[in-house]
Amino acid sequence: MKKNVFNLLIAIIAVLEVLLFVWAFRIRAPFPFVAGLLLGIAVIFLARMYVDDLMEDERTRKIREQTALTTLQISWIALLAFSLWMIIEGAGNRANPELRRLGVFGIGLLLVNAGMIIVFILLSFYFRKQYGE
Amino acid sequence: MKNRIKVFRAMHDLTQEALAHHLGVTRQTIQAIETGKYDPSLPLAGKIAHYFHTTIEEIFIFDFEDEPSR
Repeated sequence: MKKNVFNLLIAIIAVLEVLLFVWAFRIRAPFPFVAGLLLGIAVIFLARMYVDDLMEDERTRKIREQTALTTLQISWIALLAFSLWMIIEGAGNRANPELRRLGVFGIGLLLVNAGMIIVFILLSFYFRKQYGE
Repeated sequence: MKNRIKVFRAMHDLTQEALAHHLGVTRQTIQAIETGKYDPSLPLAGKIAHYFHTTIEEIFIFDFEDEPSR
């Protein structure tokens, strides 16, 4: 399979996933969408094995690593700012239960952020050992 | 880091695509190396030199003044 055919396949699957999402949303049935999403990902992974052209090398891996790290850093900052905003706005607000719920959700988001940082630190220890320290 | 891959490629009458195929990398990687946008890893630099039957120093010219200090 050529790389362009593979890219076309991804585009078709993406369109089908969007249509499936709209349909699942309308009938209020999440299961078909989740099943379809997993099936779509499985098809992409299987099709990737049959691509003749080279898809990945050290440069593409470096680009992916750099992209992932930058995305993670931006997500941390955005998530932290967003969760703190929700906590300030909502937590401790006894007068408005809606805002109070927002504050609790903010605390949850803050915990998710802290969890991400802990995973990052643990993985960095693992990779430091792997690459020598 | 400057390099003379384009010169060696011309000497061996090779396209970027053909060289990439021999080295097991994408054509875009060869192009990025030639234009100086990407510095290859040491193993890839070694593979390039080995392919052209020469040394890494013959192909890659390390410019200490151009490199950012770390």
